[in-house]
Amino acid sequence: MLSSLSFFFTEAVTNCRRAGMMTFVTVSTIAVTLLLMGTFLLAAVTTEGFLHRLQQEALVTAFLSPATPRDQVNALKLRLTQLDEVEQAEIVWPEAAMQELFTDSSDRELLQLGLGSESNPLPPTIRIKMRGSHDLQPLLAKLKGLSPIESVSYGEEAYRQFQGLSELLWLGSLLVIILLGLASLFIVYNTVRLTLYMRREEIIIMKLVGATNWFIRWPFVIEGFIQGIAGSLLAAVLLMLSYKFILARLAVLVPFFAIQVGFAHLLKLSVKLLMMGVVLGISGSLLSLRDLNSFSRESS
Amino acid sequence: MIELQNVTKIYPNGVRALNNVSLSVPRGDFVFLVGPSGAGKSTFLRLLFREELPTEGHVLVDGKDITEMSDSRVPFLRRNMGIVLQDFQLLQRRTVSENVAFGLRVLGTPDNVIQARVQEALEQVGLSHKRRMFPDELSGGEQQRVCIARALVNNPLILITDEPTGNLDPMISFEIMQLFLEINTRGTTIIMATHNHNLVNKLRKRVVALVEGRIIKDEPGGTYAYE
Repeated sequence: MLSSLSFFFTEAVTNCRRAGMMTFVTVSTIAVTLLLMGTFLLAAVTTEGFLHRLQQEALVTAFLSPATPRDQVNALKLRLTQLDEVEQAEIVWPEAAMQELFTDSSDRELLQLGLGSESNPLPPTIRIKMRGSHDLQPLLAKLKGLSPIESVSYGEEAYRQFQGLSELLWLGSLLVIILLGLASLFIVYNTVRLTLYMRREEIIIMKLVGATNWFIRWPFVIEGFIQGIAGSLLAAVLLMLSYKFILARLAVLVPFFAIQVGFAHLLKLSVKLLMMGVVLGISGSLLSLRDLNSFSRESS
Repeated sequence: MIELQNVTKIYPNGVRALNNVSLSVPRGDFVFLVGPSGAGKSTFLRLLFREELPTEGHVLVDGKDITEMSDSRVPFLRRNMGIVLQDFQLLQRRTVSENVAFGLRVLGTPDNVIQARVQEALEQVGLSHKRRMFPDELSGGEQQRVCIARALVNNPLILITDEPTGNLDPMISFEIMQLFLEINTRGTTIIMATHNHNLVNKLRKRVVALVEGRIIKDEPGGTYAYE
């Protein structure tokens, strides 16, 4: 068994070396495919990370009924600060809101005309800052059920846009993975077929001396494994380098998008790429080795 | 040892290579298969190592009906056989000893056993001094002897050979035949398809003549003549 194993490995390595051009084509096909797959996955993970950060940093504003008595507003604030998701809650009374409005608005004069000094239509609000480790949606659900909160605002528009982009990227990644996976499998399959054709005499002789189909297949499968590992390692290294470069450029161009995917995530992605590379290499080899029975002296 | 029962082989293109052939070859026999080109000799041999299946009839090897055998068992059938063909069939990128070792590799034989057996087989065919050479560095006769060594290395029960001296000059052909006779004396059954009149007439072994897919002569200690 050990002797056969060492024979298979030696055969696989020797064959990779002998069929240098074929090996190069297979390794680069796998590398390019995985690089593109990795790019899409990384983009999806990055956007998701950004979305998560957006959620965590969201400042939620709860608008109360305009006529809510002050003691009720204070009680609500106290109740809110006791929630797990809430780090800080701050009341903005209608007067303060009006003052903010007048300070900020460029249409100050127009507003002063429309609003008498006595009438203030602004409701009391509570500004809530979330704790970093919590998600936004459960908090929103809780807030909507609390009286006298009338409505809640958290920058829905921007959040929904990013959520849409994130979903689109995941869907795109899935499509890219399927399409590129199939294309790459087809190329690997054909290069192995070519190698088989080049070595048909050898296969016929192996069969003549009593080699089982699996004995013939193993070196090819190990070759596929080696090529898969080589291709995916190349893709992982290129992906990491370009990711670092692109993030550095993004940080300059779009400062608010300064999000980093952690090392653990990158490592996980690299492992996924390695696994995909191995699956591609081995399955390409196995597919082309299905009908070894067609190799006979007649076909030589 | 080998038995063909009413074997007919018709190829998909309609060629009837063998027509109701029956033959029995006991263990240790030496059979020359003679006949004109296209008589069905190669088909006959290919049926024995299950490279072909008969259209009708049965082929028994060592008591087992190999026509009923599943494809996955065929390698194990061949491990008891040595097969030597006219066109040498050597792996050009491997040395003489690697070529001979191939028959043992497929059995998963340990390296040290392989080395000893390869050495022994190469000594038998007189090529141990050329074990590190590549096939294209050898003469035709030497290449054929490497094939014989590869066929012998497993100590096969049966040796099937198709025109083993077809590409060789008379002197070398005779040497190769001596080798086969020696192997035969050790109990290996040999079935050899040949066009070599001189050798057949000289050695006086059992001669089976095939013409148009039929056995027209089966003569112990016979000669080549079949017309």
